[in-house]
Order: sequence, then structure tokens, then C-alpha cells
Amino acid sequence: MAKLSLHQLSKSYGSAEILKDISLDIKNGEFVVLVGPSGCGKSTLLRLIAGLDPVTSGSISIGDRIVNDLEPAQRKIAMVFQTYALYPHKNVRENMTFGLKYAGLPAEEISRRVDEASRMLQLQDLLTRKPKDLSGGQRQRVAIGRAIVREPDVFLFDEPLSNLDASLRVSTRVELSRLHTLLKSTMIYVTHDQIEAMTLADRIVVMNKGRIEQTGTPLELYYQPANLFVAGFIGSPKMNQFSAILRNATAATGFGLSVPVKGGDEGSAVTIGIRPEHFVVGREGEHPHAARVELVERLGEISHLHMKLNSGELMIAEWRGRDAPSIGDSLSLAAETSNIHLFDAKGVRI
Amino acid sequence: MQLKWRVGLIHSFLIAYSLIAVLPILLVVMNSFKIRKAIFGTPLALPSAETFSLVGYVKVLGNANIGIYFFNSLSVTLISMATVLLFGAMAAWALAEYRFKGSNLLALFLSIGIMVPIRLGSISILHMMVDLNLVNTRLALILVYTAQGLPMAIFILSEFISQIPRDLRDAARCDGVPEIAIFFQVIAPLLRPAIATVAVFTIVPIWNDLWFPLLLAPGNDTQTITLGIQQFIGQYITDWNSVLAALSVAIIPVLVIYLIFSRQLISGLTAGAVK
Amino acid sequence: MLLLFFFLGPAVIVYSIFSVYPLIATMSLSTFTSDSSGALHFVGLENYRLLLMDKDWREPFWNAFLNNIWFFIIHMAVQNPIGIAIAGLLSLPHLKFRGTYRTLIFTPTMLSVVIIGFSWNLILSPLWGISEGFLKFFGLGAFFQPWLGLESSALITIGLISVWQFVGIPLMLIYAALLNVPSELVDAARIDGLSHMRIFFSVKLPLIAPTIGLVSILTFVGNFNAFDLVYSIKGALAGPNFSTDLLGTFFYRTFFGNQLQLGSPTMGATIATAMFLIILIGVCIYLYGIQRRLERHSF
Ligand SMILES: Nc1ncnc2c1ncn2[C@@H]1O[C@H](COP(=O)(O)OP(=O)(O)O)[C@@H](O)[C@H]1O
Ligand SMILES: [Mg+2]
Repeated sequence: MAKLSLHQLSKSYGSAEILKDISLDIKNGEFVVLVGPSGCGKSTLLRLIAGLDPVTSGSISIGDRIVNDLEPAQRKIAMVFQTYALYPHKNVRENMTFGLKYAGLPAEEISRRVDEASRMLQLQDLLTRKPKDLSGGQRQRVAIGRAIVREPDVFLFDEPLSNLDASLRVSTRVELSRLHTLLKSTMIYVTHDQIEAMTLADRIVVMNKGRIEQTGTPLELYYQPANLFVAGFIGSPKMNQFSAILRNATAATGFGLSVPVKGGDEGSAVTIGIRPEHFVVGREGEHPHAARVELVERLGEISHLHMKLNSGELMIAEWRGRDAPSIGDSLSLAAETSNIHLFDAKGVRI
Repeated sequence: MQLKWRVGLIHSFLIAYSLIAVLPILLVVMNSFKIRKAIFGTPLALPSAETFSLVGYVKVLGNANIGIYFFNSLSVTLISMATVLLFGAMAAWALAEYRFKGSNLLALFLSIGIMVPIRLGSISILHMMVDLNLVNTRLALILVYTAQGLPMAIFILSEFISQIPRDLRDAARCDGVPEIAIFFQVIAPLLRPAIATVAVFTIVPIWNDLWFPLLLAPGNDTQTITLGIQQFIGQYITDWNSVLAALSVAIIPVLVIYLIFSRQLISGLTAGAVK
Repeated sequence: MLLLFFFLGPAVIVYSIFSVYPLIATMSLSTFTSDSSGALHFVGLENYRLLLMDKDWREPFWNAFLNNIWFFIIHMAVQNPIGIAIAGLLSLPHLKFRGTYRTLIFTPTMLSVVIIGFSWNLILSPLWGISEGFLKFFGLGAFFQPWLGLESSALITIGLISVWQFVGIPLMLIYAALLNVPSELVDAARIDGLSHMRIFFSVKLPLIAPTIGLVSILTFVGNFNAFDLVYSIKGALAGPNFSTDLLGTFFYRTFFGNQLQLGSPTMGATIATAMFLIILIGVCIYLYGIQRRLERHSF
């Protein structure tokens, strides 16, 4: 167990700058999730931390050591890969012990660790099987077991659940959460799935195009997104974004919504963001903003209404209950004033 | 109905071509078991009780050298194959895994040998072997065959290695496995399916080669079976029993091994190494 | 660094010493001549002038070169179409005994050229009479000729024997490429109503064009380097009257000498270098002229 910090980390492949000026402090025992769209550099960052690729500039420290020049094995990390990366010709036990042999551990210690990890992950009956005789979920547990037996300071996970089917993904997610409570190790977890991020993380790091957009607890990101990117990335369906003009300390949209603003340049363009679940929907005339239903996605208890405002703007609102409106219905909306987000012309939260 | 007819046509074509492919070989093997009169009288008939004879084999196998020739071919082929596979896999791994200055150039350098036959350098190879005092040794053949087989082996194995997921090597690195052990314990065991492909492209040409045995090791102690049979036939050219038996002695072991391994061999070939 | 040397060293060293160096040394030897005492003298390109201009060298060289081109044409015109056709048939869906056909047809490729050469020599020999008997059976006895012994037909016959033996290679490479054509594509074409024949010619064949290019260049290199078959059937003299002489046998004869002339390492080296250049030109035409134009499709 150890803290981990990244200081002004950059990574380039040739002339392509993949990571730019990443600084991040992770506390001992914290579960940090890196999220971001595919290709934003999450895996690259994880590989830098693991020592699989050299950094271009900046420093990485684990515990009190700067580890930039250490081999992966010397960093006291363990990594779980999306493809599991089990050695196909070795059985489950050999997969878990292969690395330990090179660490020069005594045999009793090795078997103690394997016993403990396999008990934790219910792998006892599978120890002599080859990876090809395991199901996807079992393989994933072996991969996690191989990480656990190393007793690392930091666990690194690279999208470990994305090759599992939906129901297995949920149960393994819960198991991972349980494991973190049990082991209390520092964990860094990469995913592009915001539900995984929200449910697992102590703290989420949202990345985009090689930069950190925001760091915070799941609820901070949900309620106080630092910018339009985070606002759009966290939450499903996406937050509605309406353009507005700032006049007399008030931002006004095309369909007649006005929001008081402190500060900001007079006459500048701003964006108002409202999540679908933060609208109140009623019959025609009941609320200030009229809208027509264009499409209804029924998910059961809730439905997503795709609507067109009288300004022509498109938006989504959430409907609770079974009697959802139909296409073509005219309705009216109001926004919950406590859940309105304002962003300036550069997309930064006001 | 029409479909059946067409399937029949396809099968008759394939059967006809299969016969063209194997009949000449069968003809030689079949007649090698017959008395001389039957070889000429009824060449297309199977050996029967009256026509069966092993007289040719008695002469061929009685030639004490045949055993030596076989041993020579076997040792040269197997050792060359082992070195080609080992050195080739090691080099292919380094080229596929480590990016270093000049790695592309080195890959190009190694691939020249795929297109340019090593035979064209024979004169200098012979001079070199004379200088090294290696003429008429099996080592001379092994060295040349290793050099000959390496480029193709490296090419095939590189393709194969690049299909091994990168995560596997990274996992081993995170596990603290040293680089050399990563190759021998993680990568090498996974190369087994590629061996059939490499075998077809390296072992078969080595076993069947006439040129280098003729050039580098024509001595009686170091002749390979291909050269030995060729010389034997030259001596007994009019003795049909012996000639046919000698040819069969060269054909049958290869045929048996081929039939046993044909499935792996051909699936190895078609597994895509050369796309 | 040490690691790189460990992995690459053995291969690079053996390959450089026993393959690349001899090739270069041979090229350099081709610019020398040896006198009666065996000492070497630098003569520049004189050997090449001899090879191309001198009457004693020019004729056998061009003879072997043209024969070689014929040999190549026979392979391109017979071996590769047969290989493609059989591969096409073998890759048809729901074909039974596919594996058996494959195994049988590939058998000759596994055997030694020398053994094959001798076997065919016997089979086609009028002494044994087996071919004549075979033709008579079909009422074609009158067509029999000692093909390998006639100046007019010996080269074609040897070419066809070579085709018979090596058809397995294009067959396998093209078969493998055909297997890599995704079956969805073929299914889609069938739903579009194309016949198997049409699918083969207008869907599969264009997709495997790069493999056909590869097969052609492998055939080219193999043919311009061929030696064993002619040597085992006809000996170093490549009779009758040099009608089956290829660059490979010409090279061998020049280097080792024979009943007619003394061996000459320097002229041998010159011929080897000429063969190298011919192969190099072929490979360059393939790499820059053909392969580039063939689109590679990845599925
Ligand atoms: N070895 C490499 N060479 C060049 N570019 C790379 C390399 N590895 C990754 N990249 C590029 O870096 C970017 C980020 O990749 P990655 O970290 O894998 O993204 P993700 O967030 O999806 O995990 C991508 O645009 C990818 O193309
Ligand atoms: Mg990734």
C-alpha cells in the first residue's frame, strides 16, 4: 500500500503528443477511476505508471520513491489487462506463481499466497485447469488473482470488465468493490464506462485528449462538472446544453428560459446545461416552456422523451411512471432551478 | 438433380488430378516389389504371389552405406531445423518486440535471403569451407542450411509473434519475469503451431537437396540419402530392380511421415503465415 | 543492448557469414580471372563482356537464358492456373473429402526433385514401355514418343514434370488465401444470386490478387534457380544437345567443368552474378511494379 503521485507527466510517440502535463496525487488506499472517451490516453497513462513504456517528461512516484527508471517488477505494482493476458500454456496455479518464482520467494510463502488469493476469488477448484477450459468470468478472476498474489502497493486495472457480458460485468464489479474494501490497497482503474466509474470510484479522473479535465468524487462530477466536456461525459442520457446570451446579469435562451448569473461579460455567449432528470414535465400550459414529443424511449419505470422546443432546439427529458406521453403530444416543461449549470464561452463552469 | 451432377463433375475432376499426382509414385513403389519380368510384363499390376520379390531391396539395403546416408540426412536435417527454429525465433522475437535504431534495416537485410537463393554464392561457400577445413563434414551442410532457412523462418515467425497479444508480454513484465525467460517460457511455447509451417519451408528443401551435398559433402561418409540414391542409381542404372528399390527407399519414409503429419503440416501451411 | 545481441546475434552471424558474405564474394570474384597457376587477376567487367559477346560463351548463355524463360512460361501458364483451379474447387463450401484431395495432390511436392526426376525418367522411358502401354489403353499408342530424349520436346516435358511436382505450392498458398476470404462476403454474394463460378471470378479472385502476385514471384525465383530436376534427369550436360540447359545447370557446368571444358570459378561466379541480377530485376518488378498496384484487403 502506498500513495502515488504523477508530476507534470507527458508522453509522445514521435511527434504525436498523447499525454500532456498530467499531475495527480492518489492517496494511500484510494480507488481512483480514470474515465474518458476511447483513445484519450487512459491506457497509455496506466502503462507509464506500470513502467511498460518510458515517460517523455515528468515524474512518477510510488510511496516515497521516484520510479521513473525502475522496471515494472521493481515498482511493486500489479496489472490486470482487458484481455486477461493469461499464459495459455500454464494452468491457473502456474499462472499465479510464474512471476513469484522470479521474485525469489520461498515455496511456502508462494503457496500461502496462492491459497489465500484463490480462497478470496473462489478459484480453489480451478487451480489445475488451463485458461482455455475457463469461462470469461473465471479467466478474469484468475487475472485478478495473479495480481493479488504479488501483494502490490498499487493495483492497475485496464478495462478489466469490457470483455464480459452485461450480467457478469455487474457481478464482477460488485466483487471488485468488495475486494477493495478487503485489501485496502491503492487501485487505479481505467474504463470508458461511466457507470463503472461512478459505482467503483472514491475519486474519478475524467480525461480527454491527453489531459485531465476534472478530478473529484462521483457526486462532485455529477453535480458540479467543471466544464462542458465533463458535463456531457458524466450522466446518461447526456446533459442538455442550450446556448444563451448574457445580458443584465441574466442568461436567456431562445425558448425563454432566464437564469440569473453572477459575473461574466455582458453580451457574451454562455451555455446552460440541464440534465434530463432535472426537468419537471407537465400537460400543455402547466409549465413555462412548451415542447412537442418527437420520440419516446420506454425503459420501464422511466422513459426518455426526445422533444422539440418552440425555439426549434432539441432536448431530452426524463419521465417517471408508466403512463408516458406519445409521439406528437404537446407538453410543457420547467427546469429545477437548483440543478441548472452555467458555462462560459470557453466551456468553463461559472 | 442438376446440383448432384455438378458435384459429381467436381469430384471426378479432383479424383482425376489426385490420381495424376500419386499414380507415378505408386507405380515406382509398386514395381519395386516385383520380379524383373513382371516389372516389364505387367507394370500396372499390383505385385502378386508369383511376381513378388525383394531382390532390389536386398541389394540396396545390403549396401552398407544406405544406413549411413540415412543417418547423415536425418542428423543434418534435424540439427539444421533445430538451429533454424531456435535462432529464427529468437531473432524474430527481437525484431518484433524491441524497437531500436536500424531495426527496419536489419529486417530488410534478413529478408534478402527469402528472395535471393543462397546457391548463387556457392563458389565462395565452397572456398570458405575449404579454408575452414569443413569440406566433407556434416557441419558444413548444417551451417549452410541454417543460413538458408533463417530468412524464411524469421519472416514466418515474426508474423506469428506479432499475432501474440501484447498484453501477454506486458503481463509477464509486470510479473517481474526477466526478458530472456519471457521469450523461452512465455513466447516459445506459443510458437508450436508455427513449427509445421516453418518445417515445410525449411526441412523439406533440406532433406531433398542435391546441390550442397554434391558440392560440400560428396564423400562417402557424409553423403545424404538424396545424393547417395542418386549415385547408387548412376551405378546400377540398368538394374531395374535395384533402381526402383532405391527410389522407393528414398520415397517411403518421407511418404509415411508425410501421411502421418499431413493434417498438421497442411493446416500449418494454410494457417495464414503467408497471406 | 546485450539482450539484443543475445537474441539477434546467432541468426545474424550465421546468415551473414554463410549467405550474404558468399554472395558478395561471388560477385567480387566475377571481376577476376585466374591464370594457369591459379593466381587471380582483376579484369573489371571483362568476364561479363565474354559472357555476353564472346562466341563460346554467348551461345550457351543465351540458350540457357531462353530455355529458362520457357521454363518459367510453362509454369506460369500451366502450374499456376491448375493451382488456382484446384484451390478454387477445394474451397467450395460443403465439399466432401477435401482433406484427402489436399493430401494427395500435395504429395509430390514433399518428395525430392532427384527422386521425382528419376521416377519420371523411368516412367517415360521407352525401355519400360509403361507410358506407351498406358496411351495404348486409351487408343493413343501412336502418339507415344520418347519425349525426354527429343530435342524438340525434352524441355517442355521436364517443365511439365516440374509443374506436376510443385503445383502443391501455389495450390496451398491460394487455398489459404481463399480460406481467409470471409464467408459472410460469399454468403452475401450468394444471396445476391451469384453462381459459385461468378463468386469465384468476381469476388474471391480479386481479393486474393496479392497472393497470386506472391505465387508468381516465388515461381520466378524458383525457376531461375532450378537445377536439380534437369541434373537428375539429364545430367550436367542437359541434353539432348543442351536443349534442357537452364542457368542453374550452365552455372554448375561452368564452375565444375565437364567432359568438354575445364571448370572456371571466375566465369562460374560471373554466371551466378548474372543470375542474381536477373532474379533481382524480377523481384524489383514485382515489388515496385506489381505488388504496389495490387490493393491489399484486410478483413
Ligand atoms: N505505441 C504507440 N505508438 C503510437 N501511438 C500510440 C501508441 N500507443 C497508443 N498510441 C496512441 O495514443 C492514443 C491513446 O491511446 P490509449 O492510451 O490506448 O487510449 P485509451 O484511452 O483508449 O486507452 C491513441 O490515439 C493511440 O493511437
Ligand atoms: Mg485503452
